[in-house]
Amino acid sequence: MRRTWSYVVLTAALSVAVAVWAVPHLEGDASTRVWVEGSSLLGVSLATHVDALAAQVLLLAVGVGLLVQIYSTAYLGHHARYRSYALVIILFLFGMIAVVAADDLFVLLIGWEVMGLCSYLLIGHEWQTAAARSGAAKAFLMTRVADLGLLVGILVIGQTYGTYRISEVITQEPDNATAIGLLLLVAVVGKSAQFPLHTWLPDAMPGPTPITALIHAATMVAAGVYLVARLMPIFEASELVMTLLAIIAAVTMLLGALFALAQTDLKRALAWSTVSQLAFMFAALSTGDADAGTDHLLSHGAFKALLFLGCGCLMHAVGSSALSAMGGLRLRMPVTFWTMSIGFAALAGVVPTVGFFTKDSVLHALDHGRHEGPLPEGIAVMLLGVALLTSFVTAAYATRLWLLAFLAPATTDRAGLSTGSRSEHRAMTGPLLALAVASFALSIGQPFHLGMGVLSTLVAAAGVGAVLMVWRRGHSLDLDAPWLTSELGLDRPYASWIPSTTRSSARAVVDVDRDGIDAYSHGSVRVAELASRVLALVQTGNVQRYATVIAAGVVVITAAAVIWT
Amino acid sequence: MPLLYPLVLSAALFGIGLYGVLARRNAVMMLLGVELMLNAVNLNLVAFDAWFADQLHTGQVLTLFTITIAAAEIGLGLAIVLALFRAVRTVDVDEVGASS
Repeated sequence: MRRTWSYVVLTAALSVAVAVWAVPHLEGDASTRVWVEGSSLLGVSLATHVDALAAQVLLLAVGVGLLVQIYSTAYLGHHARYRSYALVIILFLFGMIAVVAADDLFVLLIGWEVMGLCSYLLIGHEWQTAAARSGAAKAFLMTRVADLGLLVGILVIGQTYGTYRISEVITQEPDNATAIGLLLLVAVVGKSAQFPLHTWLPDAMPGPTPITALIHAATMVAAGVYLVARLMPIFEASELVMTLLAIIAAVTMLLGALFALAQTDLKRALAWSTVSQLAFMFAALSTGDADAGTDHLLSHGAFKALLFLGCGCLMHAVGSSALSAMGGLRLRMPVTFWTMSIGFAALAGVVPTVGFFTKDSVLHALDHGRHEGPLPEGIAVMLLGVALLTSFVTAAYATRLWLLAFLAPATTDRAGLSTGSRSEHRAMTGPLLALAVASFALSIGQPFHLGMGVLSTLVAAAGVGAVLMVWRRGHSLDLDAPWLTSELGLDRPYASWIPSTTRSSARAVVDVDRDGIDAYSHGSVRVAELASRVLALVQTGNVQRYATVIAAGVVVITAAAVIWT
Repeated sequence: MPLLYPLVLSAALFGIGLYGVLARRNAVMMLLGVELMLNAVNLNLVAFDAWFADQLHTGQVLTLFTITIAAAEIGLGLAIVLALFRAVRTVDVDEVGASS
């Protein structure tokens, strides 16, 4: 055990250092600091900019990171590769800190890529399973391709504004906003798993559950939201980009929620829920209200990390993440039950959890966006409608998951599972309790909008009520719609079309290389062979014949010299 | 005497010698061909020496030198041919080349 705690201590030291750095900025005084001045050649300097938003996200990242590290000592502490696992988490935290605190866009890019690498390594931590390998490769490839948008976008920003410093860029008059916005949007959509690049996140679920809680719920996927909020003046300047963002958010939030409703696997359902909730944040951002989006980012980071860590406890207990293997766990795992109930309540938006308040802010921002903001009115109305519908579906699937995991009758015999809190390790329940407390504590000081609050509560209550009614009547909660369980076939382009296109084009390249380009080298070989055979006829080995040729040559040259002079 | 006559004679000698070296297969005859070419050169040297009326007669001196060299060369060459004959019982250059 000492072996595992040393990494927790390391993470705790990092967390404390970051907290000492970030806490003074929570009140809103921003500070920009250049640690290493860049050369005039590249103009890249190691600069940080910490304002209230950055400080909040930093605290979220290191807080969840520390809790996940503690949780992992029980979850994976006896794993043979725990060492590399724990160290990659710390590397990931450095990447996240670089993204959040960076003032120079290239520092941000480096952190962004480090996070992508760590995500790849940690999804593939259980690399002996094929699902983990393919999920890791898929996540890496999709986010990496999207990251090209960020790289090109940064270069365009540098060309347009003459600086790579965010604090200088956002104070200038926006220019080239549409081009930059679209490029950055590609990266954001890829990193935050939004439609149409959303399919990697559910397939990243073979990774260890604490990693899912940290990277694929609380921090890395939220980095896209953070980037948009950080560069809001550029995004805001282009109606096209904001409209596109709104449409992407609307499509993603509804699809994600519906897919979550149909899942038979708790972890995958939570992954779709994350996709949907991230789209919720983007919806708020698309109206130009960065605060509502980032507030939801923070609250979602807390309650979704809680849900994933709780899901990890359940998986630890029953050995599977399938909902059919769970059920009846309420009495056997009381701490997990109560904390996850709080998490599901926050997800559904029940007063007084933080989920209610931030969802309320998002809906208020959307309502506000109908009258002013960068969005056309039609799009804003559509977005508000879809968001309310998504709230309904969200409440429904949260209730469904809660019922199936804890209250449904157990389908399998669990003689081996001890009752009471003994099946729950303290290192695992501790982080759950901390996050449950955070799910309430973060509510303090949140804005509250009465009309929208009542409306969203009614919508959520309708969702919960609908599922409860179906449940009370004894119906199965499994949705059998094939278009939902197959997730609309949206993964087919990435799983089948792109690979087969790549394979056939590779084959075509091989053919061209073999039959086209190689023909020249083979032809030159044949010509050389033929020429050497002709020349070999002259090479008789008879010295006198050579001398005759030389003499004849001399005669010819002499004759020519005599004739032409 | 015009210069042309000795020059024509020397060219004819050189041509015959060259033909002998290139066409004959007998080593002794090839050496004779070489001798003919050397003597064609000697004839040239003497002819031009007379034509220029050189005070120092360098042409004639060089001719004497060449004759000496030629004598040494033919002695050496015939010795090699003799050794060759003793070794392979023939002086036909094609057969010697084929047997080695």
